Amino acid sequence: MLAPINISMESLNVMTLAPMLIPVVGALLILVIDVIKGGLHKSLYVVLSLLFLAMDFFSLLDASEIFTQNGTVLGMFDVMLIDGLALLAQFIIVIASMLFIPLALTNKRFHEFSYPEFFALFLFMIAGFQFMVATDNLILIFVGLETASLALYTLIAMHNRDKSFEAAVKYFTMGALAAGFFSFGAMVFYALTGSVEINKIALVLAANGYADIGYVLVGVSFMLAAFAFKLSLIPFHTWAPDVYEGSSAPMAGYMSIVPKIAAFVVAMRFFEFLVHSGIVWLDIVLYAFVIITMTVANMWALVQTDVKRMLAYSSISHAGFVMAAILIGTTQANSALFLYWVLFTFTNLGSFSMLWISRQKSLPDHQMSDHSYDKFAGMIKTAPVPAMIMGLFMLSLAGIPPFALFWGKIYLISSAVTSGYTILALIMALNSAIAGYYYLKLIVYMFMKEPVVGASGQIYVANATLALKTIIGIAAVGTIFAFVAINPLLEFITAFVYNSGY
Amino acid sequence: MLDHILSLLIFFPALAAVFGFMIQKESMRAYGISVAAIEFALSLWLWYVFDGNVSGMQFMESLPLVPSFGINYILGVDGISLFIVILAAFFTMIGIASLTDTPNVKYMIITLLFLQMTMVGVFVALDAIVFYIFWELSLVPMLYIIGAWGGPLRIYASVKFFLYTFTGSLVMLVGMLFMAYFYYQATGVWSFAILDWYRLILPESFQLWLFAAFFIGFAIKVPMFPFHTWLPYAHGQAPTIGSVILAAILLKMGTYAFIRFSLPMFPDASAFFMVPIAIIAIIMIVYTAMVAYAQKDIKQVVAYSSISHMGVIILGTFALNVEGISGSIFLMIAHGVVSGALFLLVGVIYDRRHTKMMSEFGGLAQVMPRYATIFGLMLMASVGMPLTINFVGEFLSLLGFYQQSHILTLLAGTAIIVGAIYMLAAYKKMFFGEVTKEENKNLKDVNKREWVALLPLGVITIWLGIYPKPVLEPINNSVKSIVQLMHNKATTELGKERIPNLVKPKVVIIEKTIIEEVH
Repeated sequence: MLAPINISMESLNVMTLAPMLIPVVGALLILVIDVIKGGLHKSLYVVLSLLFLAMDFFSLLDASEIFTQNGTVLGMFDVMLIDGLALLAQFIIVIASMLFIPLALTNKRFHEFSYPEFFALFLFMIAGFQFMVATDNLILIFVGLETASLALYTLIAMHNRDKSFEAAVKYFTMGALAAGFFSFGAMVFYALTGSVEINKIALVLAANGYADIGYVLVGVSFMLAAFAFKLSLIPFHTWAPDVYEGSSAPMAGYMSIVPKIAAFVVAMRFFEFLVHSGIVWLDIVLYAFVIITMTVANMWALVQTDVKRMLAYSSISHAGFVMAAILIGTTQANSALFLYWVLFTFTNLGSFSMLWISRQKSLPDHQMSDHSYDKFAGMIKTAPVPAMIMGLFMLSLAGIPPFALFWGKIYLISSAVTSGYTILALIMALNSAIAGYYYLKLIVYMFMKEPVVGASGQIYVANATLALKTIIGIAAVGTIFAFVAINPLLEFITAFVYNSGY
Repeated sequence: MLDHILSLLIFFPALAAVFGFMIQKESMRAYGISVAAIEFALSLWLWYVFDGNVSGMQFMESLPLVPSFGINYILGVDGISLFIVILAAFFTMIGIASLTDTPNVKYMIITLLFLQMTMVGVFVALDAIVFYIFWELSLVPMLYIIGAWGGPLRIYASVKFFLYTFTGSLVMLVGMLFMAYFYYQATGVWSFAILDWYRLILPESFQLWLFAAFFIGFAIKVPMFPFHTWLPYAHGQAPTIGSVILAAILLKMGTYAFIRFSLPMFPDASAFFMVPIAIIAIIMIVYTAMVAYAQKDIKQVVAYSSISHMGVIILGTFALNVEGISGSIFLMIAHGVVSGALFLLVGVIYDRRHTKMMSEFGGLAQVMPRYATIFGLMLMASVGMPLTINFVGEFLSLLGFYQQSHILTLLAGTAIIVGAIYMLAAYKKMFFGEVTKEENKNLKDVNKREWVALLPLGVITIWLGIYPKPVLEPINNSVKSIVQLMHNKATTELGKERIPNLVKPKVVIIEKTIIEEVH
């Protein structure tokens, strides 16, 4: 006869679930409201989502306070793991989402934002990402990942253009493949170590001295492939430009930030012990991933004729750049990853939002695609302020000081320098120089070419509402005055990363 | 106010540029000139309060920026940077004063004022990252000046300019991160402060690599052969004001940085690379002089001659002794004045005829006598005639290098003769002989606005050519301390041999002999 299981509620530490449950509750509330009274204006749902995200944010503040006092908190049968990485990633996720959601308030009626389901799915997705980063249990990571991904596929498809369905289907099939890889990799590690928790896997593997190195490598290969899909590392990136193109501009910006930080955190947890285990093969493969992703994506970005596709490739390149932090694996590198991503969030969301407010419902004759370079020609003459803001985001993406991303770049390159990756540091620097060219190309179009006949400044701000302008203003201020915030941010991030043992 | 005079010098033009957006188009030129004049007056005031007998940094300011990573906002000025700052302020003023009514003159002036902020910033920054911020930021307004107001190939030229220098400076950035890391290893604290870095004594093998990383960044900016190819395009396409600022100030960033970073931080590497760099410098002098001779466009002649003279500056810098380095700094200022003036003069004729081809002119001396006179004066200065400003700098630079190598100095010296040939040939083609073209017969001579810009330059050229002491002395004092620092830090035989020790000057020995005679 089985003994009854006694578990005290206190040992469950239910509060660890609070930040994830808040958006879930919010999503359910939105669905209920829609059932009770349909046809409400989207602004209600936008504000509701914002409110729940704000509550989420405050619960994270609480959790981080507990973390700074008591250290890492475990909960729910030790499945939940609230450490510095989890908190930092959740902060980025929630803040990026808060910046994203008001972009639904455009002047034009865009299809997806008229559904309340959009906002419910959005909140579910955030909860999924939050689960994904706040655990080191491979099963919960998988559940979180799939919750978020399935919601995301639907959000893309809701954009309701020909290319969106293509994008959603492409993303879905690729994502399913990645999920398969992930579960297979997890299975291999379970078979090897009898555990699905990353820290236990690490312990067991270290204890037996990586005896089954062949199986470990098989497992690592599958995991690596799964992460490479999510992080759009070359050669697993093929979905990314098409999916970015098919989804709405802010959604594309959002996709280049939030899903990736979640995947980066999991990758950091997973590869941390492997990188330090001295498996030479893994170092070489990661090194190759990093360099190829940075360089090749840059090359492709050079030849794009559409700004949005250019930004898509540039996001891939940035992901490769940041992946270097995981290869290096020191505290400084891991902190640099978060610093970079915070700064990248402001800049990239800002630049995609600029595309969003210049989105038209139908294309004029002279324009090849939604955001072709030609459209931006001579923008300084027809719409000087938006042109300067867009130029600012481009300069920041290119890493021109003192704008935001420069600080992320030097800290990351510095972490490569301090841990002896000199060649990598040089390659990173040279890649920044290549990237300079395509960001410059947009600046050249905006500032130095003559406007295309018939274009009035109005098209660049056609969608702008006060909410949109505010978001872009926040992004621009964040980009210009980043240097004020770097020191507190760096100290905060380093303390959190260091105290989590990374 | 003296405590923050350097910050004031940096941010006053930037603030004025921001306010400039609110000014009416018609009054923009007056606004620009007054702002630049105030800035120039401030820089003169800086000279006035500057203590020429002190060799170290003065008016230092410090403010934490990212203290946990060792980045601080540190400013300071010494004899080396003082006059370049004044030069930058001066040329912005002259540049704005000489502006003709180009389209969008308002935005041109705003851009120039932003550019001025970055230029002053580069020369007074004492933190490597702050230096780097201004260094990179200066590319943006220059890109816009060339790209928006330049000639038909302007976009190509501006993008080439940007990418060349951007790439070089990123490699330099990696070098800076290494320096900070070495400092961290030695002391346990991160620091990007240049004066902190001066205290580091690095082994020679490290020095060589770091020297190379910094060298790429600086050499592209100078521009040294073979990285010079962006410059003729940039000059060829830039509007007059762009060329003036580029030649007078922006190129000096590279040579200044050699003296500020490469020499005191890597004395052994500097001694090690002395001969190769001198050879490159001589190639620069000879090769570009020959290319200049083959040009048909007068602006290209000036542009290539500009590169040629930068070669002399490099040669003087890598003489590694007080005469050479002081001479090269003086020549930086001289070259700024003279080549800036020459570009302005080319601009004068371009405004009238909208061509820069020498074949279009001839006999201009008869039509525009005053123009021919001032052109002739500047040309003589450019060639290095005694009693002009360039002579002092060139003489000292060559004198300095003569102590290191007689043969190389001789080669460089002959090359300067080649310089005289092409300049005089160009002058002959444009100014002497009969007036052949109908259009040239009624050209107007230099007008009042142009006089305002050109006359001060002419006066400075002769004044400092005859009496260089007020400028040379503060330079000398700061250079002495740098050379002494280099000697003390040098760890290799070669370094000790090539960098003179100033503590035991020859004067002391003579004093001893006197004492012996008395006994």
